[in-house]
Amino acid sequence: MDTLAALPVQALHGLVYGMLLFLVASGLTLIFGMMGVLNFAHGALYMMGAYFSWSILQWTGHFWLSLLVAPLVVALAGVIIERFFLRKVHSYGHAHELLLTFGMAYIIEELVKIFWGNEPLLVVLPSLLAGSIPLLGTQYPVYRLFILGVSLVVFILMFFVLYKTRAGIIVRAAVANKRMVGALGFNVPLVFLVLFGMGAWLAGLAGVIGGPYLITNPAMASTIIIDLFVVVVVGGLGSIQGALIASLLIGQLQSIGILILPQFAIFFEFLLMALVLIFRPHGLLGESK
Amino acid sequence: MIPSAWLKRLLLVAGLAVLAAMPALVGEYPLNLIITMIIYSLFALSYNVLFGQAGLLSFGHAAYFGVGAYTSILLFKKLGLSLLPGILGAGLAGGILGVILGLFVVRLGGTYFALLTLAFNALIYAGAEKWRGLTGGEDGVAAMRPDLYIPFLGDVEMFSTVHWYYFVLIVVLLCTWFCWHFTRTPLGRLNECLRENEDRARFIGYNVYLSKVAVNVISAFFAGLAGGMAGAFQEFVTVTFINLDKATDVLIMTFVGGSGTFWGPILGACFLTYLNQILSDLTEHWTLIQGIIFVLLVMYAPQGLSGLLISLKDRFWSARAQKLSPAAKGEG
Repeated sequence: MDTLAALPVQALHGLVYGMLLFLVASGLTLIFGMMGVLNFAHGALYMMGAYFSWSILQWTGHFWLSLLVAPLVVALAGVIIERFFLRKVHSYGHAHELLLTFGMAYIIEELVKIFWGNEPLLVVLPSLLAGSIPLLGTQYPVYRLFILGVSLVVFILMFFVLYKTRAGIIVRAAVANKRMVGALGFNVPLVFLVLFGMGAWLAGLAGVIGGPYLITNPAMASTIIIDLFVVVVVGGLGSIQGALIASLLIGQLQSIGILILPQFAIFFEFLLMALVLIFRPHGLLGESK
Repeated sequence: MIPSAWLKRLLLVAGLAVLAAMPALVGEYPLNLIITMIIYSLFALSYNVLFGQAGLLSFGHAAYFGVGAYTSILLFKKLGLSLLPGILGAGLAGGILGVILGLFVVRLGGTYFALLTLAFNALIYAGAEKWRGLTGGEDGVAAMRPDLYIPFLGDVEMFSTVHWYYFVLIVVLLCTWFCWHFTRTPLGRLNECLRENEDRARFIGYNVYLSKVAVNVISAFFAGLAGGMAGAFQEFVTVTFINLDKATDVLIMTFVGGSGTFWGPILGACFLTYLNQILSDLTEHWTLIQGIIFVLLVMYAPQGLSGLLISLKDRFWSARAQKLSPAAKGEG
């Protein structure tokens, strides 16, 4: 009976995490779709968002300022990684690009430990977001609703840009066939640079809002990267709708799983991944190339 | 350009002689470090069967290593097996896991392989952490290193570091010999063909999927063996044997040593284990230095240290156009 009563609340938890996961995964999957680069450093960029925002909060005391500035700094870091590192190894092939981003992730994680230490950091939330409100028969933390709100707004904006603007059309076309887009006269490397920066911005934003919720600590990059990879496999490489479905599914599997079989909750997403691999090897919405 | 065959053989014999005489040359503490180097050499060598030869970039090789380590310790502890069956059991456990995971992870090539190996490594890690009854969870499980039973000779005690050194050395040399020979078998050649042009292998009529599974099993077997010896060496296994750090360590070792040559991974494992030992005493930021070395090599020397040494040797060779000093070959 208790289990049943807790179900809606857990489902809401799952939705919050699923949407957060999607913010990070969307950039990863678009970057992959366009250039075939699996950006291992994507989790590290997300972590940078959380840490930068913590520091900005320490210096200025303004949470809203950190929400605005930290993702921009992460986007800049992403642009630097793409322009000065990733592009240099592009001619060596995808395996090399993957190794490079892995190395960057490794270095970022070590730098975070050096600058901010190994201990988890506590983020003091503004009073507007700190409390909880009655919802679904329980007291629900306002902050989680805030995460949901922000990720929904970004999600709607992103789909609007991708599907209703010229820039979005170019990006989607480049994901489908970058050679053709290049042949039509677009500067594909520039499009990719901007896309990489946008992906980093999204990851950084997810880090800023996710840090207080999932605890800002040096392991947060390697924790989320596993979920991200499962999202990409389940959704299908390069498919943004697939990433959305997979993120929401994994959010639910984790939160409902903990409610029903706490010991085995962690295995559900892997089970989902194995099933998808057996029956739809290219992911739910992925195309076989 | 290449030193004549007898010179190579001479170097090999000299190297083996040094290895055989090692316990007389160094003390107890360096010998322990050398044992670690030898075990990780095998781990890196097994990794390179996938990475260097088959061109499959794995982020999950710790699964086989860790399962091997748990298997050997549990066989010693629960079944009281002697050393060799325990270590072989570790290899077999790695191989069996290699079959199961292989069926999934090699279905889609390239980037998918990297993604899937990482995810399955995380799954095995979670399993080791949750199955506390067997693995002890985060507390780990401990067992003494048993004696080695040799027919007609009886038990050889393995408590002595020197005995243990010779055991590890002989096992790893045999495995190295096998791995080297494997590159010359039809499957070993096909393996390299898969890396260069998978479609062509398919058109000729090879079953690419099954070949990849077979290669994965061989690689997993040796990784399990290395894990089994690492577990028996420490006499204690915990989840750090199976986590993502372990999986990326072997990738870094292999890449830094150079995946393009057979002995590159051995060089990388020895170099980084040694560097780790001396630098971790000096600075706590050792892992950052390791990461920077890695990124620099990815960007400027994708063939790793062995590639650098070879190009250095070639430069000396062409500059002098006469007898080459063996210095450029390094200690690998």
